[in-house]
Order: sequence, then C-alpha cells, then structure tokens
Amino acid sequence: MKTVDRRLLASILIIGSLAAVLLSLSLGSGFISPLALARSLAGERDSFEFIVLTSLRLPRLCMALAVGASLAVSGALFQSLLRNPLADPYTIGVSGGASLGATVAIVASLSAPWIVLAAFSGAVAVVAAVYLLAMRLRLGGTALILGGIALSFILSSGVMLLFSLSRAEQVHRALMWLMGDLGIARYAILLPGALLALVLGAAAWLHARRLDILSFGGAFARGLGVGRADVARIFWLGSMLAALSVALAGVIGFVGLIIPHIVRLVSGPAHRRLLPYSAIAGGAFLALADAIGRALAPPYEIPAGVITGFFGGIFFLALLLAKGRNEA
Amino acid sequence: MTLFEMTGLSASYGARMAVREITLSLPEGGFTALIGPNGAGKSTLLKLLSGWLAPSGGSVLFRGKEISTWNERAFAREVAVVHQFMDSMPPFSVDEFVRMGRFPHRAPWQPYDVHDREAVAAALATAGIGHLAGRAITALSGGERQLAYVARALAQQSPVILLDEPVSHLDIRHAVRVMDLLHERAAQGTTVIAALHDMNMASDYCDTIIALREGLLFARGTPREVVRFETIEALFSTVCVVFDNPMTHQPYTFPVPDYLKKK
Repeated sequence: MKTVDRRLLASILIIGSLAAVLLSLSLGSGFISPLALARSLAGERDSFEFIVLTSLRLPRLCMALAVGASLAVSGALFQSLLRNPLADPYTIGVSGGASLGATVAIVASLSAPWIVLAAFSGAVAVVAAVYLLAMRLRLGGTALILGGIALSFILSSGVMLLFSLSRAEQVHRALMWLMGDLGIARYAILLPGALLALVLGAAAWLHARRLDILSFGGAFARGLGVGRADVARIFWLGSMLAALSVALAGVIGFVGLIIPHIVRLVSGPAHRRLLPYSAIAGGAFLALADAIGRALAPPYEIPAGVITGFFGGIFFLALLLAKGRNEA
Repeated sequence: MTLFEMTGLSASYGARMAVREITLSLPEGGFTALIGPNGAGKSTLLKLLSGWLAPSGGSVLFRGKEISTWNERAFAREVAVVHQFMDSMPPFSVDEFVRMGRFPHRAPWQPYDVHDREAVAAALATAGIGHLAGRAITALSGGERQLAYVARALAQQSPVILLDEPVSHLDIRHAVRVMDLLHERAAQGTTVIAALHDMNMASDYCDTIIALREGLLFARGTPREVVRFETIEALFSTVCVVFDNPMTHQPYTFPVPDYLKKK
C-alpha cells in the first residue's frame, strides 16, 4: 500500500475515533448534544449537564478507553506472538480465570473493588499456570492455545457449579459481569487501572521491533537475538493487559480479536504503528459500544459486551465479504 | 582459529535421533556445504549451530564458549541465519525486512541511524534487489524472496552466515545468483556454512563438503576428496558416475537412470 493511502487511512482512523469518543459522551439515557456539553463545562458547576458529564459519563468513558485499548493491544500482542490471526486476549484462559474469581467474589457478596481484585487474581493465576505448563513442556503456539482452551472449559465448569449453588440475584449479577459491562460501579479503581494500562501499553510499545521480528516465527527471531526472555516478557505484558481489562469490565468479547485485524489494514504489520493505533481504535470502539448500549433502551443498560459482539461480528463479516470479493 | 567445536553432539526429536554423536570442528573462513539425503540431519545440525535447538547430548562451542551460554544478541552479531523458505509472513516491505538484520546492533528501542541505513542499502545493492526495496516481501517471487532473506543476513554484518537450503527451490538463474553472492562473501572473509541439496552446486562453489547420513558424520573434505562415486553412491544409496565439470574442474555427479542399468 502506498504511503499516501496509509496516511489518509490513519487520519480517518484517528478522526473517526475522536468522533466516536465525543458521540459516546453525548449518548446515554438522555441525549446531550456536544455543544451543550461544551457549554456546561464552561458554565455552571451545578447544571444537570455538568453533573451527568463529570460524575457519570466522563469516568465511564475513561474506563471504556482504558479497557478497550488494553484489549486491542493485548490482542495484537498475542496474534503476533502466537502467529495466529484467531488469537485474542482470552485465548490463553485469562477470561476463564477472571470469571471464576469474579463469580466467587460476587456469590460471596463482596464489594466492587474486591470483585475486581478477585477477577484479576483469578486471571493472573491462570496465566501463571499456562506459562509454567508451557515452560515445562516447551510448548509451541498451537499447544499453548489448546492448553488455554482446555483450561477455560475446566474453569467455566467451576463458574457453572457456583451458579447452580447460588441465589438468583447473585447469578444475575455475575451474569451481567460475565457479559462485559462497564456499568457496575468500579470507579474506585479507575485511576490505578488506567495508569497500569498506560504503563503496560508503553512497555509493549518498547517491544515493537522485537514483535516485528517475532511475527516471522521463533527460529527467525532467535537468529536475530530475540530470545525466550523477550517472548516471556511480551507474553506477560499481553496477559496482564488482558487480566486488567477483564478485572475492570468483565469479559468483553471481540475487541481484542477484530480491532487489531482492522487496524492492521491501516497501520501495516509494523508494531510501532499497530500497537498505538490499536489502542486508539480499541478504546474508541468500546466507548461507542458502551454509549450505544446505554442509549438503546433506557432505563435499561445493555452490557457493552453485547454490543461489541453484535456490531463487531457484523463488521467483521462485511470485511471478510469485501476481502473475498477483492480476491476473487 | 576454530569457530564451531562439536563434541559427541547429538540431537533428538522425541525418540528419533536426528544427529548422532558428531565430533567435528569447523575453522573460521571458507564456504562449507552440508550435504546428504533427506533426513540426514543437515537442518538439525544447522539448528544446533544457530542455538535454536539445544543438544540432547554432547556439546557445541562457538569461539570456545557453549552456545547456550552466549547472550542471544551478542550471538546474533556473530552468526546470521537464513532459514528455509517461510510460507507465511507478515507483509513487511523488503526495506523494513532487511532492516531487521540491524536489530542485534542496537538497543531494542534505540532508533536506527545513518550507519544502519547504509548497511541496509549496501545489503540490498549486493543482493541486487535495491529496486524491490519498497515492495512487500509477500509480493516477491520465490527467487526474489530468497535474495531478500540473504540481504537481511548481509545487513546483519556478522562474520558467520548459516543457510538452510538457500537454493533448493529456485530456478537456475536465481540459484546461481545466490550461490555467487555467498561465494563472494566467503572470498571476502565471511564464514559461510550452507545445507545444500544440489551436490554439484556444493562441488562447484564450496571449499569444504561435510556429508551426513542418518545423523552420522559420513565424510568430510574438499570436493575432490568427498565427491567420488563410491562415497556418493554409499551416501545416497544410488548408482552414479562422477566426471569433472569442464569449467570449474570440480567433480560433477551424474545419477544413473534405472533404464540404463537394465541394459
């Protein structure tokens, strides 16, 4: 692809993301036009718009941006590391571990920060297990994916066992969480969460050149001095990003899988562009999905995971069809 | 000076021994060919020499130090590896791909400088693919792609280059170009070690031939010493005759077709 095309596409991506972010501030149980929002920021501190914006929509937007960016970057890392276009942040079992952790906390009626902590611990425990297994058996990419899937099944049995032993309202709470929802109050840990996402993302970006090389395979990478320690570090960065996003917002599907794919069409294969573009597009996509979920059927909130899956799936199918037509 | 020192070197994939107790030392310099039938252990030996595969027995030293104890980046500054044809690759431009050869020379986050750009340009020019720099490697023909692989190794500016079957699927024009290129590097002091399928290529271009059979060291010497009909027939279990190539005056192997044997 020519440089000019790429620059144009990149501008479209960034402008589109900005528009999505602005739109997500306007959308909700009541529509507030961007103009009214801007006026409220300049005007009275106790206006209805100002309160809705600062105490409801802005923190939620920040959460969506942090979670979406983490998921998309994590997906890009795993797709390159495992050299598998179907890999996503949940491939290695992160979501299973987080689900079990969160379900235990919800069933035990713990408060929101504890649910987040339990989900995060569950995710990290599973990643550690997968990692140790991979080290012990010297597993390659495919075996790692299969191991992760096997583990996910075991963990989801655990979740279902807990469901069968719990009261209905707890099951409903846990189910909402599993569907991927930014709404359950988790603002207490928004700031540390967003900061951690930023640090992990920046660390991943410093590995851009190593990821470029690793996307040609392990043997190729070893020949250029990119070794097991680098692979392990990237594996952990991707896992922590995934664990963080699941802990903050539940299991939101599709962002980590499709966003890197779409972004690659714009950024090309080089990770120094792929990773930041993925972060921008992932964050904006999730923000918009969450806003649509809030606006569709007030006073109900449709979990963001439902929207990302639905629109993400349709968009991805359209992309496949268009690509198929081009190649035919 | 000895570059690679192998002592009782073995490697296995599960129960199958791919390389068995090879004791061999490879000196610095020259163009060395690894030959032998499919499954003889050529690729495995190269994987051991490049540090990708850990020995299951014995040891392999590079410049007197066990390869597994080398720092990976330092080792990559010493040894470049050209792998067999890769069937799935991300669509990097040829320029970006060749620049990857500069990775071991810089801290991973340090930007590339003039020196790196010069090395890349020189490698592209030497390989004769400067005009393809902006193209995606995935859009190249097999021959052009192999030249890009070699250019990437040249950009690495390492004193040693290991190659696994660099010409086995190329037409003769590209095969000769790659072999000429490697021969020239060897003449300029780079140590070139390549697994080759084509014995006549090995004979015409290399100073040393190492023959492997069923993972064992079968023969080692100059083309004149190794490429004799008794050796080659035993190596490949095939009837053949050996004449001199009228141009290079190196021994040339002709397999004998079955229908002639019946007469």
